[in-house]
Amino acid sequence: MSSNSLERTIDKVLSQKESALISEIESALQNSLKNLESSKSSLQVEYDNIIESSKKQAENLKRQIIGSSTLNARNKELVIIESAIDEIFDKAKEKLSKSNNEKNYERLLTRMIQDSTTKLGSEIIIQCNKTDLSLVKKLVSQEASNKKSKITVSDEAVDIIGGIKAVSVDGTMSLDNTLDSNIESLKPLIRKEIVQLLRGENK
Amino acid sequence: MIVDGVTKASFDELVEIETNDGERRLGKVLEVGSGKAVVQVFEGTTGLAITGTRVKFLGKTMVMPVSQELLGRVFDGLGRPNDGLPDPVADKFLDVNGEPMNPQSREYPTSFIQTGVSVIDGMLTLVRGQKLPIFSGSGMSHNILAAQIARQATVVGTNEDFAVVFAAIGVQYSEAQYFKRSLEESGALKRSVLFVNLADDPAIERIITPRVALTVAEYLAFDLGMHVLAILTDMTNYAEALREISAAREEVPGRKGYPGYLYTDLANNYERAGRIKGKNGSVTQMPILSMPADDITHPIPDLTGYITEGQVVLGRDLFRKGIYPPVNVMMSLSRLMKDGVGEGKTRSDHMEVGNQLYDAYSRAQEVRALAEIVGKAGLTGVDLKYLDAGDSFETHFLKQSPDENRNLDETLSRAWDILATLPEGELTKIKDKHIQQYYKGNK
Repeated sequence: MSSNSLERTIDKVLSQKESALISEIESALQNSLKNLESSKSSLQVEYDNIIESSKKQAENLKRQIIGSSTLNARNKELVIIESAIDEIFDKAKEKLSKSNNEKNYERLLTRMIQDSTTKLGSEIIIQCNKTDLSLVKKLVSQEASNKKSKITVSDEAVDIIGGIKAVSVDGTMSLDNTLDSNIESLKPLIRKEIVQLLRGENK
Repeated sequence: MIVDGVTKASFDELVEIETNDGERRLGKVLEVGSGKAVVQVFEGTTGLAITGTRVKFLGKTMVMPVSQELLGRVFDGLGRPNDGLPDPVADKFLDVNGEPMNPQSREYPTSFIQTGVSVIDGMLTLVRGQKLPIFSGSGMSHNILAAQIARQATVVGTNEDFAVVFAAIGVQYSEAQYFKRSLEESGALKRSVLFVNLADDPAIERIITPRVALTVAEYLAFDLGMHVLAILTDMTNYAEALREISAAREEVPGRKGYPGYLYTDLANNYERAGRIKGKNGSVTQMPILSMPADDITHPIPDLTGYITEGQVVLGRDLFRKGIYPPVNVMMSLSRLMKDGVGEGKTRSDHMEVGNQLYDAYSRAQEVRALAEIVGKAGLTGVDLKYLDAGDSFETHFLKQSPDENRNLDETLSRAWDILATLPEGELTKIKDKHIQQYYKGNK
């Protein structure tokens, strides 16, 4: 074979190979473009889903943060209000403990003693705080002479703001008529009024 | 505890007991007669001495202080704060026994509550004012479901306030913590009131817990006009406590040792759900009870089923397959669903889709049984499609993550996905116009 014909054959093979390669590349390109096109829509769906779920998560997180912050703020307010209520009660108790010289207080104690004999019978033992001891003894002696009841005032003072504690002679029944217990039983109602005042709701 | 020398005490009267060292406990009168009163102490009798213990009859039944401030708070089984915060400032003090609703004033429940759980919203719809119990078994995921409903439940399309009252009755400490954390972390606590009675609390406290919770629910609903979902879990523990106290009182036992008045007692609690004419709010109840040995004929689920308006039954088979929520729809039913769904309430195809799903799943169950005998090769083409629809129902519709909140459109869309696996001719429960609008299968 001459060198010319060899070159022609090589050129022919090369050109055939070149056109085959070009057509392969073109078809690969077309396939890739097709794949890209079809992936675009599925990617878009996936992207939309991710965005949608992120939005949901963000919304949930927002709700959580707002919810817990509102709750924390409210709880802090409750604690502050409660400490204010305690302070008010402490002040009120302090004031009450100094009111044993007032005429009203004497009348209150008389009513409490009468109440005790009505509820526990005519024979009772009464306890009060150290400051009220002489006043209670005086009132008891007045009451005993009026109603033929046998009331004993215990010399053992109890730690209370005011009022009395009465016990039946056999010790089975007792009546707690102290100012402390009266305040305690009325506390839920008084608290409501204090809170309304603190929040300016009573205007 | 028996108190001697008592003349004027009344049944159910609240009693304050003062121990020798000044500690105060509460109790209530169970029986009175012959100068004696039998008192059940809420906190238990440990540490009470025979001499020196003082008892004060308070002349009133147990009351619960109520106000809007209860929302976002956690209480113990007797309604005392359990979250380290002060006592709530009361707007009112309400008797925990409640007042029976006048039947004449009751309004029929017709409005939808979305729980975000596909199987409930799509097939066992909860309606405002309904009482729909969940019957579960020991160890199943009822508490996870309860917490999910508490977090997600809402009334759709209105600006009306919604609240959840959650009463955990006789639960373990870890479960109580789970409920609390779950509500806190989801931000749902601010619209919830949580009552926690632990398993080691005295039995008598368990009797009070649902009553206290329902008292609060009634206040929020009928005084403040909110729509309230009351979740009571686990009512089996409540009934056990009732049996314990009944046995202690030497009452004549009824079925399985439960007192003869178990039905009346359960009804006293369940009938506190409903709507009242002329008032905005509603109390919807979801009592949860674990059936001993998965026995649905046990007195507790049996009597509960008589009183409530349907039931959601959790199935052991589905639970073992790892499906959550494992709702056995074939045994479940919401009797009021028909009145709470459809045009103007949810979506016009809702009821029909629900019915068709029931039909398809029921047929799938039959085909599964048949396939076990004759093998898949012996099934017809339509049977095989039902088999696929059944599997798809369990994995695509029923199965849901505990923190996945699906709205009704998503639920119905999933339902239509399942129905799309069936030939159009099989959709006999759905009107043509809905098939044309929503059917995605081959026509």
